Amino acid sequence: MTVIVAHADPARWWHSRAVRRFLRHHLALAGIAMISLLVLACILGPFALPYDSLYIDLRARFAPPLTGHHYFGTDPLGRDLAVRLLMAGRVSLAVGFSAMLLSTLIGTLVGVTAGYRGGWVGAALMRTVDGFLSYPSIFLVLALAATLRPSPVMITVIIAVTSWMETARIVEAEVRSLREREFVQAARMVGLSRAHIMFREILPNAMGPIIVAASLAVARAILLEAYISFLGYGIQPPLPSWGNMLNGAQQYLASAPWLAIIPGAAITMAVTSFNFIGDGLRDALDVRNDHI
Amino acid sequence: MSAFLLNRLFQSIVLLVIVSIIGFTVLNLMPGGPLAQFGLDPGMTQKDVERLAAQLGLNRPLWIQYLDWAWRLLQGDWGHSFRDGSAVLTVIGRHLSATLLLMGTSTALAIAAGTWIGIRGATHRYSLFDYCATVGAMIALSVPTFWFGLVGIYIFTLKLGWVPAGNMYTIGDGSVLDYLHHLILPSLVLSLVHVAIWSRYMRTATLDALSQDFVKTARAKGVSERRILLKHVVGNALLPMIALAGMQLPSILTGALVTETVFTWPGMGRLFLDSLGYSDYPVVMGLLIFSAVLVVLGNLIADIVIATVDPRIRLA
Amino acid sequence: MTKRSGTTSTYSRRDALRMVGIGGAAGLFAPNLLGKPARARTSPAKPNGRVIVGLGQEPTVFNPLMVHIEVDDGVHFSVFDALFRIDPQGVIQPNLAVEVPNQKNGGISEDGLKWRIRLRDDVRWHDGTPFSAEDVKFTLELITNPNFRSWRTAGHSLLRDITVISPTEISWRMEEAFAPYLSFLTETFIVPKHILGKEANPNNAPFNQAPIGTGAFKWSKRVPGDHLELVANTDYFGEGPHIERLVFKYIPDLTVLYTQFKSGDIDLVGQPYITPDHYGEAKTLPNRVVTLVPRASFESFYLNLERPQFKELAVREALYAAIDKESIVQGLYYGVPTPTETFMPRQSFFFNSNLPLHQFDLNRARKILDQAGWTPGAGGIRAKNGVRLSFTNSTTSGDPLREQVQQFLQQTFAQLGIEMKISNLPAAVMWGEFWMQSQFDSVIVGSSYLIGADPDVSNRLHSRSIGAKGGRGSNNAQYANPEVDALLDKGARTFDPEARRAIYYRVQELVRRDLPFLPLYQSNAVEGLKKGISGFVPNGNTRTESWNAVAWSWAS
Repeated sequence: MTVIVAHADPARWWHSRAVRRFLRHHLALAGIAMISLLVLACILGPFALPYDSLYIDLRARFAPPLTGHHYFGTDPLGRDLAVRLLMAGRVSLAVGFSAMLLSTLIGTLVGVTAGYRGGWVGAALMRTVDGFLSYPSIFLVLALAATLRPSPVMITVIIAVTSWMETARIVEAEVRSLREREFVQAARMVGLSRAHIMFREILPNAMGPIIVAASLAVARAILLEAYISFLGYGIQPPLPSWGNMLNGAQQYLASAPWLAIIPGAAITMAVTSFNFIGDGLRDALDVRNDHI
Repeated sequence: MSAFLLNRLFQSIVLLVIVSIIGFTVLNLMPGGPLAQFGLDPGMTQKDVERLAAQLGLNRPLWIQYLDWAWRLLQGDWGHSFRDGSAVLTVIGRHLSATLLLMGTSTALAIAAGTWIGIRGATHRYSLFDYCATVGAMIALSVPTFWFGLVGIYIFTLKLGWVPAGNMYTIGDGSVLDYLHHLILPSLVLSLVHVAIWSRYMRTATLDALSQDFVKTARAKGVSERRILLKHVVGNALLPMIALAGMQLPSILTGALVTETVFTWPGMGRLFLDSLGYSDYPVVMGLLIFSAVLVVLGNLIADIVIATVDPRIRLA
Repeated sequence: MTKRSGTTSTYSRRDALRMVGIGGAAGLFAPNLLGKPARARTSPAKPNGRVIVGLGQEPTVFNPLMVHIEVDDGVHFSVFDALFRIDPQGVIQPNLAVEVPNQKNGGISEDGLKWRIRLRDDVRWHDGTPFSAEDVKFTLELITNPNFRSWRTAGHSLLRDITVISPTEISWRMEEAFAPYLSFLTETFIVPKHILGKEANPNNAPFNQAPIGTGAFKWSKRVPGDHLELVANTDYFGEGPHIERLVFKYIPDLTVLYTQFKSGDIDLVGQPYITPDHYGEAKTLPNRVVTLVPRASFESFYLNLERPQFKELAVREALYAAIDKESIVQGLYYGVPTPTETFMPRQSFFFNSNLPLHQFDLNRARKILDQAGWTPGAGGIRAKNGVRLSFTNSTTSGDPLREQVQQFLQQTFAQLGIEMKISNLPAAVMWGEFWMQSQFDSVIVGSSYLIGADPDVSNRLHSRSIGAKGGRGSNNAQYANPEVDALLDKGARTFDPEARRAIYYRVQELVRRDLPFLPLYQSNAVEGLKKGISGFVPNGNTRTESWNAVAWSWAS
């Protein structure tokens, strides 16, 4: 996405009115505050805590929160939960962000091409989108995770490959409505190349929906990573992720509820932040897209 | 319109063929396979596994297996489950009703609650209620469903003992009341996300409608606010709601998957997960086709409705 | 042992061991010691009440001859009868047969090739048709029918000249002497010829979805994906049944399975039982009886001996010495399993208790590696002749306890300069060619090595059984030891239990020395049932907790 933004003229759409509207959006601000806090904590936190996220100490297992310096308690192998949570946050947030970038890139390319070209190219591309949508995502995820060895990079790719379709649909609809606008016709008459029209004339005007979709895509990617890892097909131990911290925590729900509650709360917090931001962006950029 | 439908029908058939080919290939290329479940049996020998593979036709080239499967499907034969030998359609039919019950209840709940919350939020814009509803919907969309289900079981079953921990009914009872008792928690958990989506949608739709000229005219004429809401706003929002429902059709298959697993609900989602787990190819393929048909149908409904509502959009 | 009519609710591990002792002494020589199957119990004459058994997998195969998994066994044991049954002590008892054949009573000829079985004359199928030797012949022939999707064919394929002598007597000849066959027959349930014989394609017969057997329970109905229900067969030829309805309920999530046991929704926890981390809490539940029950399943750190890292015995010994078994069993598994040195279950007559005991000793492990020439190289990882001491370990994903064991071992191994990477796979992938064709470096696996209580483990340890080398079994460690091969061949031909015991003792010694897999523990099931169910007896020689539901009853 950064590539695309670089081509656009910031003053055209990121004008002060939108920024003002965004800043007026208290939820979006709260979202930004929460996610900044989380990111900072994940980056700096592990240095501040006196434990290693991988060090196993069976004598210290199942310590409840606030035992000594174990602020969030310990897990079934006696590892400090706080430091694991923050290390897991690095992994989960990185996977969420990268998956969003990748899926937005794919979705935008497909959407712009399909929307601008229309005709059989557009139909073929959009039927491909339908095709991908018609596989239950759990099928694709399981099949891919079973065939490829799950590493963080692979999980990112798997998530991106199974979640670019929404963006493609949104972008396609937007581009299709922009295609016949005067400035595009003008550009066509001047003889600008198709790629130039698609990516330098139309795309900047479709950035609003893309940005909104992207912020929500991060939220979805984090949830999806959690779900895949929860099922045991995602990030492999000992590397922690929020999802694989939950995997196995459910059986200690009665005896050590913090094992399930803390990572679940972290996921909810991160995802809520991105949803808040997405909502704020939607209002600010005046995007009408009601059912994401 | 009919030209559009014909065109779409053709595209849909092509789509189904491609979906089935890719699905079949992916499924068969996955390492393991239907005989993996016997890998730990101390009495099964390599010879037994090879014999079974031949009996199930798994030792033939992949394209022959596919053509065989597709040819039978065209004749209406969906094949038989590797696990219990039942016809695939029978297997799907058995699980469909359980899912429809759960999805139906939670969708009804979600539409009722979501419509009310959405309209109220729009008419009382920026009130405390609206604020809470917005934040609530955002959080509801952000909570992992499996986590929410677990917490629900922890609180309402383990701690309070109000509702059963799972199942569709008590074995030996099965009265309507018993079904309802079992439905409460899973349908609430499942409807959470849907309430969020519907209420957000209704809020926007209502705000839109309220700003339209005809509402202003009606207001000027002195039509009561309640009537305006009922007639113009809800009436206007109805068709797009059907479109939205159409888009959600495919989730019959997997939408309830997590909830069904957590609450041991014998529906389609669990059938899918189990069949995938046992590499029960005929059932998985049946479900993939079923799912693809739902997607095609859902999109078609959505497209037609949107085109009907908004004439600016051409059917293409 | 005959006094077992008391409540089984007080059944403890010590009792189990005592009974094992008795069973061991009786050996296979005294098959008729009990006279009747262990079913004599005081209970109401008319069956009443209902028992709901919770299962983590769904029973789906009801034709007991078709290929199926463990969880289907509970239904088969209840609806059908076999010629023999195996009791908790490993003693084979008559079921549809009137006595267990052996070389002393003439049922099996001296050379082990001719078998002659006498059958009961008072047995009827659930539809009223009398059972006869024709049904047995039909069953044994159906198993080897090339078009039939049958389960195990080993042993059955040796049968020749199956002859019905009279409605109550049948005989056959074996292609070669094969002692384990008697055990195989305890898991071979007899199906009705008058129904299945008419089917053109027995694979898709309606019978498979509504079976008719001779057993203590009749088929009632099934709600797929949820549960199935059996009802008492009041005309059963044996003692019982005492409960009117037997329900198998499918609950895929283990935590929910336990929760439903706790809440009383299910009466008895079947496979895969209560998870070890709930054991402590389960014991304190009111009105529940929770006990540890030995299973035949053996858990090991299983190696692929063809990998260059594992070819050398020194490496395997060092790895074994570096496993802190005590912490794993007592800590991670809450003391539920029993540490072991062999694949043979403790309760077996053939269990060798004199094997050298494992000792956790990191210094010794280090010394072994140093002496063998595995010296620390790049990144602190040991290497020898260009082979790095680095490998991958896999197990079924979604098994939190095993994943804890993996991470625990990973840390210990790292201290020695051994790198272990974790890569887990879904069950449907794991146990396919990845396992069968030895594509792994190492796995953590728990499985039974025995069929019934027979000690023959050729399928797992004979060099002929290496699938990756075109063999026909599942010796996936690719273990090859000529002495073990010879012993296994001899053991399969030997009928005398004492002679066999000597053979399999030696096999266990050799395997313990060679370490093709590093033994961890023998599983114990945390079995839970409601107080008030009597007649429940666990049986580690079968794969199911519901092997004798016929004896279960509710205390009034």
